[in-house]
Amino acid sequence: MIRFAGRRLLQAAVVLLVLAAVLYATFYLAPGNAAQLACGPRCSVAQVHQIRVQMRLDDPVYAQFWHFVQGIFTGHDYSTGTGTLHCPAPCLGQSYRTGDLVTHIIAEKLPATASLALGAMVLWLVLGIGTGLLSALRRGSIVERLLTGFTLIGIATPVFITGILLLLVFCAWLRWLPYPTYVPLTSDPQQWAWNLLLPWVALALVEAAKYARLTRSSMLETLAEDHIRTFRAYGVGEGALVRRHALRGALSPVIALSALDLGTMFGGALLTETLFGVPGLGQQLVQSVQLKDLPVVVGIVLVMGLAVVVANAVADVLYALADRRVVLR
Amino acid sequence: MHRLSVTPRNLGVIAVGLALAGGAVACGPKSADSAAKSGTDAAPHKGGTLYVLNNQPQTNFDPARLYTSGGGNIPSLVYRTLTTRNRANGAAGNKVVPDLATDTGTPSKDATVWTYHLKDGLKYQDGTPVTAADIKYGIERSFAPELSGGAPYLRDWLVGAQDYQGPYKDPKGLPAIQTPDAKTIVFHLNKPEGDFPLLATQTSFSPVPKAKDTGTKYADHPVSTGPYEVVSNQNNGEHIVLKRNPEWSRATDDQRQAYPDTIDVQSGLDQAVINQRLSAGVGKDADAVTTDTNLGPAELAKVTGDKALASRVGTGHFGYTDYLAFNPKVKPFDNIKVREAIAYAVDRSTVVDADGGSALAEPATTFLPPQAAFGYTPYDPFPAGASGDPAKAKELLKEAGYPHGLTVTLTHDTNKGGEEGPEVATAIQDALKKAGITVKLDGLEHNAYDDKVYSVKTEPGLFLAGWGADWPSGGPFLGPIFDGRQIVKDGYNFNSAQLNDPSVNNEIDAINKITDLSAAAKRWGALDKKIGAQALTVPLVHPVYKRLYGKDIRNVVISDWTGVLDVSQVAVK
Repeated sequence: MIRFAGRRLLQAAVVLLVLAAVLYATFYLAPGNAAQLACGPRCSVAQVHQIRVQMRLDDPVYAQFWHFVQGIFTGHDYSTGTGTLHCPAPCLGQSYRTGDLVTHIIAEKLPATASLALGAMVLWLVLGIGTGLLSALRRGSIVERLLTGFTLIGIATPVFITGILLLLVFCAWLRWLPYPTYVPLTSDPQQWAWNLLLPWVALALVEAAKYARLTRSSMLETLAEDHIRTFRAYGVGEGALVRRHALRGALSPVIALSALDLGTMFGGALLTETLFGVPGLGQQLVQSVQLKDLPVVVGIVLVMGLAVVVANAVADVLYALADRRVVLR
Repeated sequence: MHRLSVTPRNLGVIAVGLALAGGAVACGPKSADSAAKSGTDAAPHKGGTLYVLNNQPQTNFDPARLYTSGGGNIPSLVYRTLTTRNRANGAAGNKVVPDLATDTGTPSKDATVWTYHLKDGLKYQDGTPVTAADIKYGIERSFAPELSGGAPYLRDWLVGAQDYQGPYKDPKGLPAIQTPDAKTIVFHLNKPEGDFPLLATQTSFSPVPKAKDTGTKYADHPVSTGPYEVVSNQNNGEHIVLKRNPEWSRATDDQRQAYPDTIDVQSGLDQAVINQRLSAGVGKDADAVTTDTNLGPAELAKVTGDKALASRVGTGHFGYTDYLAFNPKVKPFDNIKVREAIAYAVDRSTVVDADGGSALAEPATTFLPPQAAFGYTPYDPFPAGASGDPAKAKELLKEAGYPHGLTVTLTHDTNKGGEEGPEVATAIQDALKKAGITVKLDGLEHNAYDDKVYSVKTEPGLFLAGWGADWPSGGPFLGPIFDGRQIVKDGYNFNSAQLNDPSVNNEIDAINKITDLSAAAKRWGALDKKIGAQALTVPLVHPVYKRLYGKDIRNVVISDWTGVLDVSQVAVK
């Protein structure tokens, strides 16, 4: 187990470093000029140059990347003009656009994104796996057809339609819920959940549909396997058969997929965030990409990458628990 | 400022229908209480909280970094400036009036030296007095590379300011700004600038007390001179809460009404959701407005059909022109007959449709916007009627040596629904086809588009462009586009025709000497007409803005200067 953790940590570090390097490289190939964008289109050449120097954009790419890597281990001090701003290790740099520390921006936005992602995930797993199993076990029945229809609608409806509809029904017509504003969990847990309910549902409906279909097909496949047929021939009851034997096998692909999805969600669910006013990483990422605010982009992508890596490690552990043939190495 | 940051039309039609369906319900019985509240007495009163629901965050809330027209909307609640825009509806709102200063400025004879005196009794939120030195310091800050983003004019206009790096790197300051006493500030300019009072509305002309300056962190807790002070500024302008500044007094400020006690600015919201909330008006949304979200064509159609909703739509005109730009250095656009042919061939009615219909765009034949302050002089050098004159265009093409038509490329932004987007490009393509001109479209991603069309090295022959001025005057409208000395060789160049005509340059210099703004306006109008005859651009449309506001909102003032409901005038009670 320790070896497993060590290997994974090392892998994660390499993956993240490569990710950052690739971002730095693409940044210099993509159109747009960060200094000019920060300065405004009417800026004189001399002024843009001053800003380039301020942003260290005049240094060679490798030097800038080295400065970035250094900051992770040693931290940096930045000038605010009137004083210094200390960026403790792990320092991910300073936004070109606002001068804010990237770690500070992430710390401000991550809780909202994490709240949205984790809450929605719980909901979509319960909904998705539940519906999937039900429709697999009631194959051919009216229930199964209804559920299949429901999942098809779920997959086919983009989140901005579901979101607008939910807001319209629950906030404008029925008025059961307020138009959501994000309330941090730490300041008021009840309001936090109340305000996040709609975004969770909107996100979960789309995702649940995907999981329902995956669970259903995977369950049907497992139920058709030889060892299940053998168990059945031995007279194992249908309930126990599903619970003790089929479920383990059927859930493996679901676990793998949720690990990936959770990672993506940590990069922010942009549409859900804007529709429901959740100030998360997704909005920030899109804004920063448009403004070529490289340090912020790198920071958020690293969070995303880290989330994928961690979620995958967790998935591997779950895999091993679900299927005893899998050994953690 | 060459492009409006918010495009109103990037919404799916289905979402729009859904988004506003709440409106019908909003006028049902549940709103009876608020109807009663506002029914008896329509006069605005003090008190309450005004909510601003926006899409774009109010980032970089530092007076040195803000790039505003007339001091901005939210910024102007906190930052008072030497002069400001007149808070009045329509054309009257294009006037510049004194703010911190006693008048709009005393020019020297040739308009190169401008002197201002501060009003008595001006205080910051902490009760300390505002001094002329603080205004000088505020302006010097705007030169610091740490605080990038402000407008470029002062760097060009002030004597010896070209390479100034701000007070952090160069504490000696700018000798071009003098403060002979605590209440007097004098500006020395390179050349005559009759528009200086209009420039002095920008937030860089707002005082910053040196002792309270925290550099790049200043935007979190700026020191207010306006009717409101910042309670909190979260996530760089995503959520700003303002409360009354007890030290502000109406006695020194006859412009800002400041009715609400609190102003809560929430951004990062989806535009369809903002419009849904404003139309439904549930709870505190009845006291809400937006300063950046327009109604798109489909939303507007829905709103117009509902009387109660239609009465809550504010219409704004902001001086802006969308146009076809030519680069006469690229063949065949060096031939004026070809440019004229295209001017005749363009069908403005289809361009208006592409921009969302006649409620959201007015056809343009002049480069200047149709407002007196800019010097608007109606003219149409190539009268082609509402829908173009392909026959006349063909005739001109024959004279130009293209009897069998020709093929050209039109470069545009791929940003859908934008003024320079594919819809407008397609409308142009269709119209030109009727005149025998085959148009190939070259769509580029937004950043790549800007990089290409605004660089003299890569500028294509024909592309879509738009221009809005930083203040309502012909100077910032015509100067950057047609002044030969403003051609930028290695940077963003907006003189796309690369026109360097001494007679135009001289006339620009002559008008800049005039300090009587309405006399100057007349000359700008005449200059526009003169340049228009050269067919260097084809003006297409002037956009119109429609925005919803909440049902308890009173005292809506929309000036032509900003085209947006003025937050400093709105009341919720």
